[in-house]
Amino acid sequence: MLPFSENPPDSDMIRLVDVHLKLESAAGPVNILRGIDLTVAPGERVAIIGPSGSGKSTLLMVIGGLERPTSGQVLVGGEDLAQLDEDRLARFRRGTVGIVFQSFHLIATMSALENVAVPLELAGHADAFTRAAEELERVGLAARTEHYPGQLSGGEQQRVALARAFAIRPRLLLADEPTGNLDGETGRAVSALMFDLAQRYKTTLLLVTHEADLADCCGRVLQIQDGRIFADRPAGLRGAAALA
Amino acid sequence: MKLPVTVALALRDLRGGVRRFRVFVACLALGVAAIAGVGSLGAAVRAGIAADARTLLGGDLELRQIYSEITPEQRAFISSRARLSEVAQTRTMARRVDNAQRRLVELKAVDQLYPLVGAVRLQPELDLHQALAQKNGQWGAIAEHGLFDRLGLKVGDEIVIGKTHYVLRAELKSEPDRGVQAFFGPRVLIALESLAATGLVQPGSLVYRHYRLALTDPLEAKNLADTLKEQFPDAAWRIRRLDEAAPGLQRFVTRTELYLALVALSALLVGGLGVAHAITAWLETRIETIATLKSLGADRGMVFRIYLLQAGVFALLGIALGLLIGIALPFLAAVPLGERLGIGIQATLYPAPLALASVFGVLTAALFTLAPLARAAAIAPSMLFRDLVAPGAARLSARSLIGLAALVLMLAGLLIATASDRGLAIGFVVGALAAVLTFRLAAAAMTWSARHAPKLPNASWRLAVANLDRPGSATASVVLSLGLGITVLTVVLLVEESLRKEIERTLPAAAPTFYFIDVQPEQREEFRRLVTTWPEASGYDEVPMLRGRITRLKGVPADKVKVSPDAEWVLQGDRGITWAPSPPKGTKLVQGKWWAPDYSGRLLVSFDAESAAGLGLSIGDSVTVNVLGRELTAEIANLREVDWSQLGINFVMVFSPGTLQSAPQTALATVHVPPGQEDRLERAVSERFANISAIRVEEALATLGRILAGVGRAVQAVAAITLAAGLLVLAGVAAALRRRRIYEAVILKVLGATRADLLKALALEHLLIGLATAAIAALFGGVAAYALLRLAMELPFRFSPLPMSLAALLSIGFSLVFGIGGSLRALSAKAAPYLRNP
Repeated sequence: MLPFSENPPDSDMIRLVDVHLKLESAAGPVNILRGIDLTVAPGERVAIIGPSGSGKSTLLMVIGGLERPTSGQVLVGGEDLAQLDEDRLARFRRGTVGIVFQSFHLIATMSALENVAVPLELAGHADAFTRAAEELERVGLAARTEHYPGQLSGGEQQRVALARAFAIRPRLLLADEPTGNLDGETGRAVSALMFDLAQRYKTTLLLVTHEADLADCCGRVLQIQDGRIFADRPAGLRGAAALA
Repeated sequence: MKLPVTVALALRDLRGGVRRFRVFVACLALGVAAIAGVGSLGAAVRAGIAADARTLLGGDLELRQIYSEITPEQRAFISSRARLSEVAQTRTMARRVDNAQRRLVELKAVDQLYPLVGAVRLQPELDLHQALAQKNGQWGAIAEHGLFDRLGLKVGDEIVIGKTHYVLRAELKSEPDRGVQAFFGPRVLIALESLAATGLVQPGSLVYRHYRLALTDPLEAKNLADTLKEQFPDAAWRIRRLDEAAPGLQRFVTRTELYLALVALSALLVGGLGVAHAITAWLETRIETIATLKSLGADRGMVFRIYLLQAGVFALLGIALGLLIGIALPFLAAVPLGERLGIGIQATLYPAPLALASVFGVLTAALFTLAPLARAAAIAPSMLFRDLVAPGAARLSARSLIGLAALVLMLAGLLIATASDRGLAIGFVVGALAAVLTFRLAAAAMTWSARHAPKLPNASWRLAVANLDRPGSATASVVLSLGLGITVLTVVLLVEESLRKEIERTLPAAAPTFYFIDVQPEQREEFRRLVTTWPEASGYDEVPMLRGRITRLKGVPADKVKVSPDAEWVLQGDRGITWAPSPPKGTKLVQGKWWAPDYSGRLLVSFDAESAAGLGLSIGDSVTVNVLGRELTAEIANLREVDWSQLGINFVMVFSPGTLQSAPQTALATVHVPPGQEDRLERAVSERFANISAIRVEEALATLGRILAGVGRAVQAVAAITLAAGLLVLAGVAAALRRRRIYEAVILKVLGATRADLLKALALEHLLIGLATAAIAALFGGVAAYALLRLAMELPFRFSPLPMSLAALLSIGFSLVFGIGGSLRALSAKAAPYLRNP
C-alpha cells in the first residue's frame, strides 16, 4: 500500500493564495489567471466550470505543478510548489497527484499494461506490472492489456488513463474534461468509474468540465470567468451511482 | 497552364513539407558525390597520363634495355630516322667527400639532348647542361632536396659518386619524365659523359639504358617501332609507345580507383538507408492525406504515382547535387594530386563517370523508396485512421518484391559489369548483401530480446530496454545504418593495420638489414670476407644475379598468353634471375626434382609454384628468357614454394648452372646487423667498394609504407564519407523521432519521471544500441577484412585490437550523441503546451 499522507489529515489538500498567471503571446501579454484564492479539503470533490478560455485547464495545470504561476502561492498536500524544481515536482506528482486528460495522453508506443505500469515503475514498485494488470481488470480492460492505444476505442483509452491515474493511489486526482472526447453513454460510464475509484481510494477530486450534470456530481462547483473565481457554490450530491 | 492531376496533387501535398526531404537529398547527394568524385578523379588522372604521355615517356618512342648500350649499327639506324636522346639510370651510393655520411641515390645520367620533351626545373634557375658540364676539370651534379638534407650539404659542395667527385650546382625541383616510381633515395642527375668515370658501369651492373626517340611526325611512331622489330629481331630492348607511357601509374590508378569506388558505393548504399528512412517518415505524416485522397476516389496507382513523383524530384535534386560535387573534385584536387603523381591532372567534365554515378544514384533511390511507397499506396483508408501505432506494417505485394529483386540485380550487375576486377566486385556484392542481412538479423534479435527480456526492477532500465522494441522504433534503422558505416571503417582500418604490421613484422625477425647490389665477380671474395668477418654481422647470403625478361611461355610470345591477373607482374618488365647448382637454403620443393650438383645438360629452371599456376605452366614446359639480348630457353624441372613476405633473397626463376654461369653478372648479398650498427658497416663497404650499393631494407619498407599510407588516406577519406552517410541517417532518425520523444517525455514527466530518469533511460537505450552495433560491426568487419586480405590480397590477416576499439568507441559515441542529442529538447520541454485540449 502506498503512503496515503504524510500531512495531518485535517490540513488543506489544496491551498491557492492570490495566484496570477500571465503568458506572453505574439499579440501581447495575456492574463490567464488573475488572483485565484482557493482552498480544497482532503476527500472533497470540486468541479470547475466556465466558458472556453476562462482559465479552467490552466488552473488545473498550476495545481498539478505543470505550469508555474507568475505570482501567488500554491500549496498542494501541504507542499509549496514554488519551492520545488522541475524534478522535485515530478517526484511530488509521482506520489501524490493523478491526472486525467480530455485527449487521454496515453503513450502511443506503449501497450495498455505498460502505460498503467509506468507511474508504478517510476515510483519504484517491483510488482508494477502485476498491479497494473489488476488496475486494468478493475476498469474492465483485463482482455485489452496488450493492446496499443491506437487499437482501443476512446472510452477504452480513457479507462486506461483512469487506471494509470489511480494506480499510484493519488491523494489528488486532477481531471481535465475527462469525457469531452467521448459520446454521452461512454462518457457517463467513464465518469461513474472515476467517481467510484475516487470514493474507494478517498481521493480528492478536482474536475474541469463543461457538463452541468457532471459538475453536479461533485460536492462543490467553482465557476471561473476571465481568470477569476466568479462563483463558489455547493452542488447537489448525486453521487456516482446516479450516473451509472 | 493546367497540370496533370497527379502532378498538381504531388505539388500541393509538398506545401510546407520540403524541409523534411533534407536528409533524403543529403544522403543521396553524398553517395552520388563519392562515386562521381572517385570516377571523375580517376578519369582526370588517366587523361593527365594520356596528355603527358610524351613527357612521361620522354619522346614518341622509348627503347629500354639493361646492362649494355645499343650497338653502333642500331644507333646509326635510329639516328637516321629520329632525334635520339640517351639516359642511363642506376641505384648507387652518393657520399660526402669526408665519407662521414652516404645515401643510396637514384642516379640518372643524361645526354646533351635530354629532355626531348618538357623541361627540368632547378633551384637556382640554371641551364641544365651548364649545371652538369665539366668546369675546371670538375663535373656538376644536381640532386633533390633529400640528398642535401641527409648529407648536410648545400649548393656548391662536393659529393662522391663511385670514383668521381661532383660539385652540386643546383637543387632538382622537378623532372618531366619522372611519373610515380618507388624511389629508394633522392634523384641525382649527372652528365652521361661522366658516367664512365664513376666506374659504376661494369659488366653485369644494373644500369638501365633508356633511348628516347623524337619524330618529326609522331604518328610514325608505330611504323618505326615495327621497323625496329623487323630490323633488329634479337635486340635486347623493350619498346614502349605513348599508350604505355606509364604502365605502373596506370595500374596504380586503376587499382586505387576500384578500391575507392567500392568504398564510395558503400557510402551510397548507407545513404540509401537514409533515403528509405526519410521517405518512410515523410509518408507517415501523409497517412491522413492518403486516406482522404483514397476516400475521395484516388486509386492505389495514383497514390503511388503522387509520392513517387515527389520522391523522384528530390532524388534528382540529390543526384544533381552529388554530380556537382563530383564535377568539382578534379578541379579541387588537380594541383595537390598532380604534384604527387608527377602529372598534369586534366580537370574537366567527364560525362562517363558522371553518367555511371547518376545511374547508381537512380537505382539506389528506386531501391530504397519502392517499398515505403508501395506500402503507403497499399494501406486501406479504413486502417489508416485506426492503425497509427504501427504504420508500414502492410506486407509487400509480389509485384513490389519482384521489383525490389530486379533493382538489386540491376545494381549488382552494373557494379560487376563496370568494375576493373570482377572477382572483387562480386565479393563486394556478396559482402554487402551479407552485411545488410547480418545487421537486419541483429536488429531483429535485439528487438526480440527486448520484447522477451524479464521485467527489470529499475524503471529507467526497463524503459530503455522497452524502447528498443516500440512499434515504429528506430532500432533497426540505427543498427543498420550505423553498423554499415562502422563496418566499412573497421574493414579499412583493419586492412591498413594488417598491411602495416605485415611490413613491420617481417623486419626484425627474418628480414636482412642490407641488400648489397652490383658486387662484381672480382670483388666477391673480398666483399664476402669483409662482411662475414664483421663482428656484428650475421646471416650472410649471396647469390649471382642477372636481369632477364620472359619472352615466351611454351613457345608462345608472352604478350599473346592469357594469364591470371595475380601473375601478370611476372611478365611485366625485367625480373631478377639467378642460377644455383643445389637448392638455395629454405627451398621447399612442391613438385619435381632438383638437378644434380654437377648437372651440365640443357638449361633447366626451377619456377615459383604460385606464379607457374598463374601463368599456366607445369613441369616440362618451356620458358624463354631474354638475358643481355640473348634468348635462353629452359625446361621447368621443378616447382618451389616461395614466401615473399620473408624479404630474403628470392627469385621466381632459379636456373641450372652452365649457360648463365658464363654470362656477365654481379652478386646480390644480404646481411643482418643489429639496429644502430648499420652506418659503420655501410661506411666500411662504401670506402672499400665505391660501386657497390647498399639498400637498407628498413628505408625501402618505409618508402613502401609511405606509398601505402597515401593510398590509405584516400581510402579512409571515402570510408569517412560512408560513415558520414550513416550519421546523416542517424540525424534523420533522431529528427523523425524528436516530436514523439518530446511528447513521451512530457507524459512521463506528468507521471512523475525526473529529467535524470529520462536521461538515464535515453542513455541506456542508445548505449545498448551502440554496444550491439559495435559488436556486430567488429565481428563482420573482421570477417570482411580477413576475406579481403586472404582472398583478394593473399596476405595474412593480423588481428589488431586498436581499429576494433576505435570502431566500437565511435559506434557507441555516435549512438549516444545522436540518440541523446536528438532528444535533449524532450528533457527540458514544457509540459503544458503539449497537454492542452485541442
